[in-house]
Amino acid sequence: MEILKLNETPVRTARNFNINNIKLENINIPEKIEKFSNINIINNNSKVEIDSIIDNSNIVYGLNEFFSNQVEKDSNQKIRLNINSKINKETRIEYKFDKENNTLIDNIQIIANENTKSTIIIKYFTEEDLEIFHNGIINVIAKNGAELDIVIINLTTIKSNNFIAIQNTLKENSKINYCIIDLGGKNSITNYYSKLEGKLAINNVNTIYLGKENQLFDLNYIAELNGEKTNINIEVQGALKDNAKKHFKGTIDFKKGCKKAKGNENEACVLLSDTAKSLALPMLLCSEEDVEGNHSTSAGKISEKELFYIMSRGFSLKEAMKLMVKAKFNKILENIKNEEIKEQILIEIDNRLD
Amino acid sequence: MKKINIEEINRNIYNIKNKDEYDFKIKKGLTKEIVEEISKQKDDPEWMKELRLKALETYNKLELPTWGPDISELDMDEIATYVRPKTKLNNTWEDVPEDIKNTFDKLGIPEAEKRSLAGVGAQYDSEVVYHSMKEELMKQGVIYTDMESAVKKYPELVKQHFMKCVPINDHKFVALHAAVWSGGSFVYVPKGVKVDIPLQSYFRLNSPESGQFEHTLIIVDEGASLHFIEGCSAPKYNKVNLHAGCVELYVKENAYLRYSTIENWSKNMLNLNTKKAIVEKNAQVDWVTGSFGSKISMLYPMSILNGEGAKTEYTGISFAGEGQNLDNGFKVIHNNKNTSSVVNAKSISKNGGKCTYRSLVRINENAKNSKSIVSCDSLMLDDISMSDTIPVNDIRTDDVEFSHEAKIGKISDKAIFYLMSRGLSEEDAKAMIVRGFAYPISKELPVEYAVEMNNLINLELEGAIG
Repeated sequence: MEILKLNETPVRTARNFNINNIKLENINIPEKIEKFSNINIINNNSKVEIDSIIDNSNIVYGLNEFFSNQVEKDSNQKIRLNINSKINKETRIEYKFDKENNTLIDNIQIIANENTKSTIIIKYFTEEDLEIFHNGIINVIAKNGAELDIVIINLTTIKSNNFIAIQNTLKENSKINYCIIDLGGKNSITNYYSKLEGKLAINNVNTIYLGKENQLFDLNYIAELNGEKTNINIEVQGALKDNAKKHFKGTIDFKKGCKKAKGNENEACVLLSDTAKSLALPMLLCSEEDVEGNHSTSAGKISEKELFYIMSRGFSLKEAMKLMVKAKFNKILENIKNEEIKEQILIEIDNRLD
Repeated sequence: MKKINIEEINRNIYNIKNKDEYDFKIKKGLTKEIVEEISKQKDDPEWMKELRLKALETYNKLELPTWGPDISELDMDEIATYVRPKTKLNNTWEDVPEDIKNTFDKLGIPEAEKRSLAGVGAQYDSEVVYHSMKEELMKQGVIYTDMESAVKKYPELVKQHFMKCVPINDHKFVALHAAVWSGGSFVYVPKGVKVDIPLQSYFRLNSPESGQFEHTLIIVDEGASLHFIEGCSAPKYNKVNLHAGCVELYVKENAYLRYSTIENWSKNMLNLNTKKAIVEKNAQVDWVTGSFGSKISMLYPMSILNGEGAKTEYTGISFAGEGQNLDNGFKVIHNNKNTSSVVNAKSISKNGGKCTYRSLVRINENAKNSKSIVSCDSLMLDDISMSDTIPVNDIRTDDVEFSHEAKIGKISDKAIFYLMSRGLSEEDAKAMIVRGFAYPISKELPVEYAVEMNNLINLELEGAIG
């Protein structure tokens, strides 16, 4: 099996830091892509076109050429959402993996037309102990004044391979709020790229990752600020158990002309074992004077004082740790308005922390 | 809002060009014959000659870095790697030839020696032309000499440490350095000796289309302490000059070393320098760096915290003006328990200059109960400059406290407004903010350098309101 290199950072660092791109070996890439039929769409809001032709020619990054081509040529789910509603309603897309539907190559395009409002929840899950393969592209265009809440939930097993590339194009006065819950995948590799083209565009990204055993998360978030007074906020909260490993690569790129733009990025990793590993590369690139950019990252275990306090209230060490992790995740989960979904996520987090 | 003009460094003093006179200048390029000739000229012992030739092989095998600024303009076929000035090593300034002495006079080196230094080394092109140290330090067993003398007088000590902290295959320009190194300083501070007044080495490159490859090797033995200052400058020429020095620092148990650098190379210089320190149990190394010169700089001092309780601090400022690309930063490896690192990096970009802060913090599996705090601030003074922050944070165990913070932006309008509401003029408010920005660095510098740095950050007003 050849070594796959993917998810390259926009700026290179020394090779021996092992973070520019990720090298994966022995990934079972299905040669023949079978039909995927376990999909449930609950639509209250959008015009949904299934199996439509999707134009991905605007994709700038993607995971790498191979993964982008696979989506282009072999997608077994193509969905195009055309949003026209001015009232915020929810559209839910649920992919359920089972023995017959264990490979998903999906391509979702979301076009939020001018001044529309919508919530889109995309969920990948399975109820069986399966090794699944997922490779997808989500390509979002928010036109002038459009507002989108997008929730992506990865609840696949820890045996799985989960590859996803997200691209957002934000026009004037548009706003996209993301909430990404990343729990599944032996390898869970995400490329997230936002281009804030239009004046006053806002992009908020809130992410949770939770790793156990030998899970590996490689998150490559890139925000390019072109328009004046644009705003990007990236908040990533994670926890790693056992031998789990995380690479977080976050780039806020202030391009010339993005006057009065603001960018904030915070990544915090709770290490729950002495063999878990956290690698972070939070980059600020700046070609414009009149901007404000901040980033911060932190890593470490839960403070003993905090644990002691909770345990003094009658909780066991394990319960106290779970409580602390969930408390850190809670500020991300607050962004999900659908209580049923939030509850499902909390149960999964609880199970995976056991 | 008025635009302030922060003046770039007045280079009149540094730009004094002496006639390109030398005793010996090796032909341009980099071949086995050239390396052998340098070795012969320097009367190397056999082991050093072998090391040079092995390093040349390594240089030829290694690739240029795939990251960082573009250094493709560097053509080793156009660089003379060894230029011996027309003087031998002297220990009084009177013996130094007039033109060379005048240069160092204007740079204020002999004056500083009298006032505030315990010892001085002065290198001109490829050779050290002056070296001297106060007698009381000699009596205490402190060794401060040029590197060539150390190779001959203290062969075992040098052989044991030379290119061991920085291995020759570390990167391409380390291999180049090892092949053609010349000059530099050797310092040994014996156990328990505290050197209270700093030692300073000054490196001056006068010859056009040449390189300087000095090697600095400092061993601070158990319980000893030292403050070492390194200064460097060169006049500006039209073609590129190259600086690929190497600094190896060994800080033994309970020892302390402060290594201060004021780098003020001319704007045709490619500064591809390498600095590393190995820090043992309960020892500490502090780096204080002011980076003002060079066309391109790639410099990332590194502390390897090998001993339990070892500490390091990095305090650095870069000031990039027109045509400059300063890619600086810091690397630290935590290799033992209870180790700690504190990084405070600042940069100012103006007139189209580019500053990049590039760093690595690695806390290894065995570095339990270690702490690392990193802070970097970048100030943009106009809209044609650039500033990047590229930190890698590699945490391999849970029992750590690690945090990294970075900020980028212009001078805050709110801060100016606040100071103006307290009665300051707008210009004074801005001047105060920029000086305040640089203050955490300038307060760590020896007084005369801090004054010089504040003079460099000289504020003026330009343009009209609106």
